[in-house]
Amino acid sequence: MTIETDDYRDVWVFVEQHDGTAAPVSWELLAKGRELADETDESLVALVMGDDVSDLAEEAVARGADRALLADDAVFEPYRADPYGEQFRALVEARKPSIVLIGGTHTGRDFAGRVAVPAHAGLTADCTELAVDDEGLLLASRPTFGGDAMATIKCPAHRPQMATVRAGVFDTSEPTESDVERAAAVEEVEVVVAEEDALSTVLERVVSDVVDITDADVVVAGGAGCEGEVGPIVELAEVLGGEVAASRAAVDEGWIEPARQVGQTGKTVRPHLYIAAGISGAVQHLEGMNDSDVVVAVNTDPNAAIFEHADYGIVGDLHEVLPKLTELVREQQEVAA
Amino acid sequence: MNDGWNIVVCVKQVPDADDVTIDPDTGTLNRSGAPAVLNRPDHNAVESALALRESVGGTVTAITMGPPPAKAVLQTAVGVGADGGVLLTDRAFGGSDTWPTSLALARAAAELDADVVICGEESTDSSTGQVPPGIAAHNGWSQLTYVESLDPQPEDGVLVGKRDVEGGYERVAAELPVVVAMEFGANRPRPAGLHRKIFAETEFEPVEWSASDLGIEDRVGLANSPTKVGGMDTATPVERERIRVESVDELYEYIAEVR
Repeated sequence: MTIETDDYRDVWVFVEQHDGTAAPVSWELLAKGRELADETDESLVALVMGDDVSDLAEEAVARGADRALLADDAVFEPYRADPYGEQFRALVEARKPSIVLIGGTHTGRDFAGRVAVPAHAGLTADCTELAVDDEGLLLASRPTFGGDAMATIKCPAHRPQMATVRAGVFDTSEPTESDVERAAAVEEVEVVVAEEDALSTVLERVVSDVVDITDADVVVAGGAGCEGEVGPIVELAEVLGGEVAASRAAVDEGWIEPARQVGQTGKTVRPHLYIAAGISGAVQHLEGMNDSDVVVAVNTDPNAAIFEHADYGIVGDLHEVLPKLTELVREQQEVAA
Repeated sequence: MNDGWNIVVCVKQVPDADDVTIDPDTGTLNRSGAPAVLNRPDHNAVESALALRESVGGTVTAITMGPPPAKAVLQTAVGVGADGGVLLTDRAFGGSDTWPTSLALARAAAELDADVVICGEESTDSSTGQVPPGIAAHNGWSQLTYVESLDPQPEDGVLVGKRDVEGGYERVAAELPVVVAMEFGANRPRPAGLHRKIFAETEFEPVEWSASDLGIEDRVGLANSPTKVGGMDTATPVERERIRVESVDELYEYIAEVR
């Protein structure tokens, strides 16, 4: 199957939202999409799907989209793969975007394939770098083999060029001053899916306020060395005004919730200070913390790999080191106050 | 639905991740020394398939796509209790990315008249996580990804999955046929029984299907893969100070400095 790639233009960004709240990665992608659209001299289009979410479409325009497409219908809340995929696919077929960016969240990775497969589009998963080459071809790069290598994926003969992109790797876009034309840049599109055609039903949805560790200035992360006792991690994070995070080991053991996992299967963080406590330093974890400005490692094993990837390291039990550190920070804060 | 469900479990042979190295001079991957193993998340898929069969009855058929030695992962699945295995093997499949791979698996699942297709969360070698939704999309079936646990409701013809979502979970009822991607580590895979293992390694022979058996010989392989690898670089290592401190006081001094 050959297609006329020239028929496809514009950069689309999917604005993921749940219960009317946008996922932070949506605005990160919008900022990156703006750069790509400027380079290819195309329009940046935000795609907003949900129930009563016209405000998000307007916000997308305020954050830099040239236009927003709004599919507003009760069938889109809560999220389900088949209505989202079908609606998105219909829009892609009708309007032929060249590049489509979707957050590499569970939601984004759940439905991106339902667009890419029927469109026979190229889909690159979980990217951490995006660029366009001289011909306007998307260069989607992703870590491979546990982060030891970066593979750059191209999609020369198929459109759209789709990518899911990991949260936290790009800076977010900020809304600009109120713009009277904003609402005019929102186009409500025809909803092509109906409830009776849906293949699945959400019986129950239990979510709490999702912590966003990708935004934190200070992150204190615990690993297997916690041995079930995360108190010292929480206290140090608190006193430093930071967020608690975890390696996969601590999440798998159920000590720290999955939303706080840093690494290949978790999130990418970019704090000023990252304290890795009881974390051995598997490459999958390093991948999620490599963008930190300063890394501190606390581990009982002097040969742990984490020390090779830390600015400051101390050999010791986190259950002894962290409380002392917390105490010292507290003392200093009291002096300052 | 009285005679149970046709359960298909997709498995993949991958190089053992611990043994893949990067040549520091060329930046290319050295996989030759790595033994081929069953993709770790697929152990959770196989376990789910067997547990589902115990719950609703029916059969579990393992399928894989790969060169003839990939038969080994079917033996692994049969060894722990799968009823049979299908090997999709054909030079025409060579160079397939996720689009044709999920097409081949989707066709095979349809051929097997699957009610439920269970996959692992992603493969440890390419980690796209795209194949399960791809199978569902090719066949127009429902899907459940990032599944922590399954609750079959055969009287209603649905499979309920508890899915991990950002900040919590949801329970979703999906119509059959359905494609499931089990979350890595969602369950504790059972060990192989000795007799079954001996059977798998000595008597079991997989059914082999080629691309033309599935009627997709002109839709698979490198030529039908939308994505192309444009380059491979070793990740730039981040330079760290690597200062070893002896006391918490000293560590605090450094932290106070950077804050």
